[in-house]
Amino acid sequence: MNKFLQIIFAGFIFFSSSVLHALEVIEILGGKASQIPIAVMPFKSFGAQKAIGKINSVIKSDLSRSGLFYALDTRGVIAAPNSDKEVNFSQWKSLEAQFLIIGRIDFLKKEKVKVSWSLIDVYKQQTVLSGEYVGKEKQIRAIGHKVSDKVYERLTGSKGVFHTKIAFVEKYNNQKYKLNIADYDGYNITSLLDSKMPIISPKWSPDGKKIAYVSFEKEKPVIYIQEIATGKRKLLANFKGNNSAPAWSPDGKRLAIVLTYNTNSQIYLINADGSDVKRLIRSRSITTEPSWSPDGKEIYYTSNQGGGPQIYKFNLESSEVSRVTFEGKYNLYPSLSYDGKLLIYLTQDQGNFKVALQNLQSNQVLKLTKGPLDEAPVFAPNGHMVLFVYKDYGKTTKIGTVSINGLKIDPLPLGSRQVQEPAWGPIKN
Amino acid sequence: MKKSILLTALLGILVAGCSSTELQESQPLNPPQPELQSMLSDDNEGTAFTSPELNLLELRGNPLLAKDKRSIYFDFNKYVVKQEYMKIIQAHAKYLNEAPAANMKIQGYTDYRGSHEYNLSLGQKRSVAVKEALNSFGVDDSQIETVSYGKEYANLDCVEQNSCGEDRLADIVYTVE
Repeated sequence: MNKFLQIIFAGFIFFSSSVLHALEVIEILGGKASQIPIAVMPFKSFGAQKAIGKINSVIKSDLSRSGLFYALDTRGVIAAPNSDKEVNFSQWKSLEAQFLIIGRIDFLKKEKVKVSWSLIDVYKQQTVLSGEYVGKEKQIRAIGHKVSDKVYERLTGSKGVFHTKIAFVEKYNNQKYKLNIADYDGYNITSLLDSKMPIISPKWSPDGKKIAYVSFEKEKPVIYIQEIATGKRKLLANFKGNNSAPAWSPDGKRLAIVLTYNTNSQIYLINADGSDVKRLIRSRSITTEPSWSPDGKEIYYTSNQGGGPQIYKFNLESSEVSRVTFEGKYNLYPSLSYDGKLLIYLTQDQGNFKVALQNLQSNQVLKLTKGPLDEAPVFAPNGHMVLFVYKDYGKTTKIGTVSINGLKIDPLPLGSRQVQEPAWGPIKN
Repeated sequence: MKKSILLTALLGILVAGCSSTELQESQPLNPPQPELQSMLSDDNEGTAFTSPELNLLELRGNPLLAKDKRSIYFDFNKYVVKQEYMKIIQAHAKYLNEAPAANMKIQGYTDYRGSHEYNLSLGQKRSVAVKEALNSFGVDDSQIETVSYGKEYANLDCVEQNSCGEDRLADIVYTVE
């Protein structure tokens, strides 16, 4: 497994040669050939013939979306093994599969299922990992995501994010808005808020139990914090002027917010209970879109003090400000990876809006997407994928994932919804 | 002395505008210094306005002001109040000075290009620019609130329709207590 542990991006040496803290890397020689070929067989059902959704599709989509795996087409494979003993290793080797996932679903009483699965190393001809889950039939997708997470963690060393949730704003009927949450892959959408006025900037609390957002329901932007389980919400900030851009501190106790009073957008700190507001940055220019470093010591933000929008960072101890982005005239919407080593943001490149990825140690910049109208990129909590909004060459907007190696862009199946500003929820232990 | 009056007024506004916040006494907020020179276009320097064209009766008692008397339009990525709007702004200033119970909300807007939050800030720059023009005619901040809707009401087809300029504005709205 250790031979998978070095990333080189398409001839572009992105990281120093030592393995970075908790961010595993994969040797890429180019295109599909460098992804790990994996076959995920359909799980055979025992005890009933019910249609509960194909768990192997869930696992295939998950692993494929990550950009690190190439899921083989398993239709036409004659012998579908259900246990390790049934695996014909020479057949799988000839199909060039490196790993194989097989399993079975046993239907139990009271609409429950037991899912048993194995991850098999084709070259070593042995099972490297296996497990069993019991849950309700309707939880089959969630069980599939658990399997994906276990496989991902085993093969990359990093936590999987396939069990996580996302939030996003949906505009509908031309003038109404919903704040939705869903599985990371766009399934199981539920609405937290339905409003006649715009909703922007949803942000998950670090414990995943609350969402902060900006609502215009008071005919000006104000910030709410809403508890997901109960639907109860608290007005965090309604000062004179605008109240927007909430950003939770890594310990969840404070938020950076943007207030204007009767002047320009300035960044403040406020306790999560609404007390103790204090100004952070003094500037004659716009300062907005605060985003904390994972160690809680710096806040990255957007400012137009250099003319157009660029990203800067503010050190909370020294109050020192330094500029972070230097390429191009238009860089905004900063989002940091959980280990603080990578920064993604929106950049305008020759008129096209694209997602940029910057290594904060070397300051090298890579364009992760092509545009022309990409927006609102946010990191997955393991730093391996980015969620963003893009427009097809029609009017429809889509939310999609792009893998951090740039190899896979996949939309979420949200239909024709008009969507904006996704936020990615935390990993649950 | 003027500075401390402004500071007190600003602190007064802050305390009135929020429910349970105590300001950090050790970090007093500095009142913004209006940048008159940068807010007005170049050819306005030194010009004194005499009587505005607008009939004040038109403004007073007319809750819905005509669009062309309360909307100030801006160039792309800019928040400078153009010369052509100064007479309108002066008329509004006169009204506010003569009607202390009248409160004004200035709403800033942008076209759809860019992020929601950055455009909220840009819209705010526009509403603040109009406020500062009103300040220059003697209006106090206590009668004005500046807010922004950013790109939330922008026309997504403005490029095709060549109408993006219509989305870049600051609107004046009155409430009377």
